[in-house]
Amino acid sequence: MIRSSTEQFSRIETTCGLLLRQLQEIWSEMGENEEEKDAALADIEKECLLVYKRKVEEASRCKANLLKEIALGRAEIAGIGSSMGGDEIHSNGRVGENLKEELENVSVQLEELRRKKAERMNRFKEVIDELLNLSFQLGDSTDHLKKFGGEESDLSLHKLEELRRQLAQLQDEKSKRLDEVERLLETLKLLCSVLGEDFKDLIRGIHPSLVDSNTRDVSRSTLDKLDMMIENLRMVKLQRMQKVQDLAVSLLELWNLLDTPAEEQKTFHNVTCSIALSESEITEANILSVASIKNVEDEVIRLSKLKITKIKEVILRKKLELEEISRKVHMAPQVLKSENFSIEAIESGVKDPEQLLEQIDSEIAKVKEEASSRKEILEKVEKWMTACEEESWLEEYNRDDNRYNAGRGAHLTLKRAEKARILVNKLPGMVEVLTAKVNAWEDERGHAFLYDGVRVLSMLEQHKTLWEEKEFEKQRQRDMKKLHGQLITEQEALYGSKPSPGKSGKKPLRTALPSSAMNRKLSLGGAMLQSSKPTLNTKKTTYYDQNAPSRRESTIPNPSGRRNSELPGRLRAKNVPSSGKAVMNKGRSPMLRKPLSPVTSNILNSPEDHKDAYTTKSSPKTNEDNRRTAVPISAPTTPAASVAMSEATTPFTPASTAVKKRLDKEEGVEYSFEEVRAGFC
Amino acid sequence: MSQPPPPSAGRELANPPSDGISNLRFSNTSDHLLVSSWDKSVRLYDVSTNSLKGEFLHGGAVLDCCFHDDSSGFSVGSDNKVRRIVFNVGKEDVLGTHEKPVRCVEYSYAAGQVITGSWDKTVKCWDPRGASGPERTQVGTYVQPERVYSLSLVGNRLVVATAGRHVNIYDLRNMSQPEQRRESSLKYQTRCVRSYPNGTGYALSSVEGRVAMEFFDLSEAAQAKKYAFKCHRKSEAGRDIVYPVNAIAFHPIYGTFATGGCDGFVNIWDGNNKKRLYQYSKYPSSIAALSFSRDGQLLAVASSYTFEEGEKSHEPEAIFVRNVNEIEVKPKPKAYPTPAA
Repeated sequence: MIRSSTEQFSRIETTCGLLLRQLQEIWSEMGENEEEKDAALADIEKECLLVYKRKVEEASRCKANLLKEIALGRAEIAGIGSSMGGDEIHSNGRVGENLKEELENVSVQLEELRRKKAERMNRFKEVIDELLNLSFQLGDSTDHLKKFGGEESDLSLHKLEELRRQLAQLQDEKSKRLDEVERLLETLKLLCSVLGEDFKDLIRGIHPSLVDSNTRDVSRSTLDKLDMMIENLRMVKLQRMQKVQDLAVSLLELWNLLDTPAEEQKTFHNVTCSIALSESEITEANILSVASIKNVEDEVIRLSKLKITKIKEVILRKKLELEEISRKVHMAPQVLKSENFSIEAIESGVKDPEQLLEQIDSEIAKVKEEASSRKEILEKVEKWMTACEEESWLEEYNRDDNRYNAGRGAHLTLKRAEKARILVNKLPGMVEVLTAKVNAWEDERGHAFLYDGVRVLSMLEQHKTLWEEKEFEKQRQRDMKKLHGQLITEQEALYGSKPSPGKSGKKPLRTALPSSAMNRKLSLGGAMLQSSKPTLNTKKTTYYDQNAPSRRESTIPNPSGRRNSELPGRLRAKNVPSSGKAVMNKGRSPMLRKPLSPVTSNILNSPEDHKDAYTTKSSPKTNEDNRRTAVPISAPTTPAASVAMSEATTPFTPASTAVKKRLDKEEGVEYSFEEVRAGFC
Repeated sequence: MSQPPPPSAGRELANPPSDGISNLRFSNTSDHLLVSSWDKSVRLYDVSTNSLKGEFLHGGAVLDCCFHDDSSGFSVGSDNKVRRIVFNVGKEDVLGTHEKPVRCVEYSYAAGQVITGSWDKTVKCWDPRGASGPERTQVGTYVQPERVYSLSLVGNRLVVATAGRHVNIYDLRNMSQPEQRRESSLKYQTRCVRSYPNGTGYALSSVEGRVAMEFFDLSEAAQAKKYAFKCHRKSEAGRDIVYPVNAIAFHPIYGTFATGGCDGFVNIWDGNNKKRLYQYSKYPSSIAALSFSRDGQLLAVASSYTFEEGEKSHEPEAIFVRNVNEIEVKPKPKAYPTPAA
């Protein structure tokens, strides 16, 4: 039976009353006294009160609990609401009529809010996870995000929006970086192809993920490394490009020089085309690879070697040319004798061939120029020499007693003699002119005019002196003849008859001997026999002494005045050391001597002449040498003399005494300047 | 006595050392210049602002210095010690010691080691990362035939020039014995040795005004290219006065090189075409050291008496930094003569 609480209450009251009445009835039946009844009733009351009190307390406790729960619930609601942004809380519209209803409301609301919060947190978690992911990929720091994950203080939509924005930013950043990586990889690929490097290897070295396009790493460090690598490769490309361009320039020059055929040139066409290109324009694959550059280098080296061989050939050829020209003009240029130009030196390439080429070219030019200036004089010298030959032939002819005998070809010799006489008459004049011309030439040139190594002037000198002597001789003979004639007439006057002329008369002619001539720097080939007639000799001597200045004392005290190959050793001994230059042609018949040829060889033998012939020529050469080896410092574009490891020993002064000391003592311990300064030695 | 330097000598740096300059170097990464001096100091200059950024004192004359990177460098001197200096902090560690004064120092980026040469006839390698005591930083000791006068590094090759005209060439990857043992082809004492930037050989200068250009490759073809030339000489009355060539520096881009001598001149040479490209006007004193900046736009010249004539009064020390024009350093390939018909 369902009864309302009030009904139940009144029912309890009724039941209690009934029970009390029953109790009273029982007591009255029992005859309980009033005290005991009162006591029992008081007990009943007390117990009932206790029960009631207990129940009341319980109820109020429940109520307190309820209130607390409601309060807690509300607090949580407030908390969630604030953390989620505050607009989630619907106002507590439904105020429950009693607490249990309130609690119900609150729990429902709380349930709702909790659910929402969980939902929100999920969303946050999603976004944060993605942020973390992206940050990690980008290599950004993720500390603040991780911190955020732990707290739940701000779950508002506003914050969510903020995080979403961040996420969008990062995604943007990532896509930008992907693009950049793509771009950098493209550039890198191009560079690698040009340089002949392995693209895949390089990028794998930077980061393994780069090889596969799907999962590329986009951290800042990867990008930086890519940048740096590109920079490096670009530098390498520039360097190689420069090198290749330089090589290409050399290649072109060498081709030009060596006239290389077009087929050979074609293989390197791409290289030479690249000369004018700028860095960005060089895009052909492998054009700058190490192998390709080496190829070009090797080609350049090969061509250079070829060039040097050709130059050597040219030098040899020119040397021959030089020798030829010199020979023609009877010159003997020093340079040909120098060891720089020997065949071995040229072949071995010890001296720089290009320099040699220049030298030899300049030598040839010099020699040609000199040759042309010598031409005129040479012609005259030739003529003069032929004239001298004719002269000597004529002399011989004159001595020949049979010359007027008719025989075969006599008329030819007569004609020749005639011509020769004319020539001989012209001879002095020729000599004069020639001497003058040679002098002029020598003054102009500053060095002696050499004919096959002999100084022409000295040749002329000798000839002149010889000629003068002969003149003297002739004059003397004529005088002697006169004297002889006089003597004969005297004799005739004395004795009444003439001695027969002819043979005996010839001897005196031949005995005239200019004593001083012996002392000149001539061979004795021209010396003549001396007569043994003392009277004549004394006369001769005095006569001769008047006219010929005797250069050596030894001749004057000589009473006999005789000198020739057969002279007593005393005089000869005296003469030889004093003259030193006279060479005796012992046993050589003077008749057969030709005027010039032995003289030439004797001149070569005589040291003074030798010196004369070569000093003037050599001194300019040494000056030139000195000038060349001391490199002048003032001119900025002087080429440094390149001396292969054999060093030229130029005389030098060390700049400091310390250095000099060091240079002097080769055996002692040497110290550097720093050791001296530090007091180490 | 003191003559003003010619106007085209370049900027003179302020606060130069107060005694002879032993070496100067540009950094590989910036325009900082490190200068070591006989006044026991190592100075760091910023060339672009002409300011002295740091000065570090040592126990004795500092004979050589080199950069590690922009923040640290190494220096060695007559106190027998090898030091690392951290510039900003001003801190110094001693990496190790030799038994006699240390004459040269180089840092090898390829091997990550410091290499020093000393008058105790050894070359030593040090690992600068060894933080604990000197015993742990020394990587190796290599005995030389004589006192070490100059060193040069290129790639993995080390060239050592000693007294007595010996030259040892090492491969850094195998230092147990020299790759090549040579004798200087010049007849007089070696002053300085520098490898070509392209690593094919080295230039060696002597006290007798001569420089030899040598190649590592021992094949006949390569050795045929070697040569020597005379330089830094003055001609007077038919005789030459010769000056020691103290310094050689290679241009990082063109491969041409500058030499400086006790005559106070700096010449720029093209080694391949065997030509002199330029000569700068005379500096007030002997050229003690030369260095090109990393891009080759600047040349630092140390004009400082190098004691070639013993104790004597001399011009004050000065450092000039000059801008380098392309025409002074760019190689000029030879114009070929027209071939004779």
